[in-house]
Amino acid sequence: MKIIRIHNELLGTYGDRGNADVLAFRAGLAGVTAHIIDVSYREMIPTDGDIYLLGGAEDAAQVLSCTALKGFDFKNRVVLAVCAGFQILGNSYFANGVKQVGLGVIDMETIPGSSRFVGDIKVHSDLLNIELTGFENHGGQTNLAYGITPLGRVITGHGNGAGGVDGAVVGNIFGTYLHGAVLARNPEFADLLLERALGNELPRVNDPLADEYAKYRRSII
Amino acid sequence: MFVARLAGWASHTLLGKSGETIAGRVLLILCPNAISQLSTGRKIILVSATNGKTSTTRALAGFMSTAGSVTSSKSGSNLARGVASALMTESEYAVLEVDELHLPFVVDATKPKAVLLLNLTRDQLHRMHEVKRVADRWKEMASKSGATFIADIDDPFLNYVLASASNNVRVSFGGMAGRHPDGAVCPLCGAYLDWDGGIYSCICGLANQVSDKKFSAESAAMRNQILANITAEYFGVPWHEVDLSTLERKVSKKFINADCSIRLTKNPASWREALAGVEGEKVILILNSREVDGIDTSWLWDVDFSGLRGKHVVVTGERGLDLAYRLHVQGVIAELVSDFDSAAAKFAGPVEVLAAYTAFFELVG
Repeated sequence: MKIIRIHNELLGTYGDRGNADVLAFRAGLAGVTAHIIDVSYREMIPTDGDIYLLGGAEDAAQVLSCTALKGFDFKNRVVLAVCAGFQILGNSYFANGVKQVGLGVIDMETIPGSSRFVGDIKVHSDLLNIELTGFENHGGQTNLAYGITPLGRVITGHGNGAGGVDGAVVGNIFGTYLHGAVLARNPEFADLLLERALGNELPRVNDPLADEYAKYRRSII
Repeated sequence: MFVARLAGWASHTLLGKSGETIAGRVLLILCPNAISQLSTGRKIILVSATNGKTSTTRALAGFMSTAGSVTSSKSGSNLARGVASALMTESEYAVLEVDELHLPFVVDATKPKAVLLLNLTRDQLHRMHEVKRVADRWKEMASKSGATFIADIDDPFLNYVLASASNNVRVSFGGMAGRHPDGAVCPLCGAYLDWDGGIYSCICGLANQVSDKKFSAESAAMRNQILANITAEYFGVPWHEVDLSTLERKVSKKFINADCSIRLTKNPASWREALAGVEGEKVILILNSREVDGIDTSWLWDVDFSGLRGKHVVVTGERGLDLAYRLHVQGVIAELVSDFDSAAAKFAGPVEVLAAYTAFFELVG
């Protein structure tokens, strides 16, 4: 399995590189050999990846990454995009105080929020039927188009800052504002992505420490 | 000022607290312009950075004391009240440590002769939000100040700040060990910044190949020692060599049978520096996430802990479980225990302890 970590030097402000580490680690525990491939801004994005990862960034880095990704086809791929990486998948987003054209992968737009959303966040995922926890730190408000499914309903925190929801799910493309890294704090979410990439059910992953950590995080928010 | 001193004395005597910042706090309530008034007619030197400001301020104050009377910040008191407290002592020179976000205000209020900037990397993102945001504030500050700004331009954010200062001393150490962890984008023009090791050169002209002064240094402590000397030299003070261990926040203390060497770690850059300094096979790591530690632990995934593989590692602290899981995924076998005493009891002889900010001060007192 190939896990493509896109532009981590740009989209690596908030520990989201850990999502790749957790995916590869849990794949290994399930008996699947996984390789993490870091692709920098100057390189072409491989088309033979199994999972593609985008992370959070400061404004100027977000704009550079988005520009470099124009023309790459995310459709029909398994994608996890966090924060700034989530925003660029929309039709438009704001960076450096200016409205920017997004990649148009998810029908949504991000505008400046009423204030910056900083703190612990907990959402309920109907898809997984569990609570997801993380930490959010962003100034954007993401408005999903009618019919776009969110990743979760906000219990604590702000998420998209509109509609009481966080993130978006379109097929195998998942967006969220949760850092943490989100897959470290929510191993069930990591396993879902691995299953989508493998196209079948994952052999059971037995990692008590991961479960203990996820449970602990859910208990304190 | 008498009332403020009285409050400081009362706090110290009756409550057993340092009294330092209480006096400053009272003074600022009674006289909001106190910092500005107390700075008049004195030579003020300010020191700021993400890491190393306390120890570098202490070293620089020592250097300056050979030139005249010096007052300096009480260890770590780097907000406005700490600055006010330090200035209550009369002296020719004042060498003051200042928090990154408070620096523009303190520069404006004290009208310093010199400002020493050591480094700028991500820290406490819940409070600072973004590195570039802090750099932008510093840039605006530098453009309005008459001070001489002295900084390590191997850090592109500091080079960017110095570009708008009318008086500056640009120091290079031939590049950092590698690329700046937050320096993928040119802070000046927004272009992608290509790095060749620690050397960068942007199409807009921001580069570290040409500097006013060039040195070589193998550690952050060495860089800070040189930068402090350059600042003192600006006031005519001859060069001082110092024991570099005094520039690391490192304290030796015995707990039960463990001879602990305790290092302060508070953000990705200081964890990397401290991990690189681990020489032995026995290690205790302590992680908390109170306000001053940074309330979130996501950054753990941006630090490479693989150098600890094969060592005897024990983890504790309020966020010990976050750290234990992060180590687990990186193949570092570590034992998680409930408190520091339990961790120390696992060892005899020399142990290296890397402690989060609040844990460090609880251990060293």
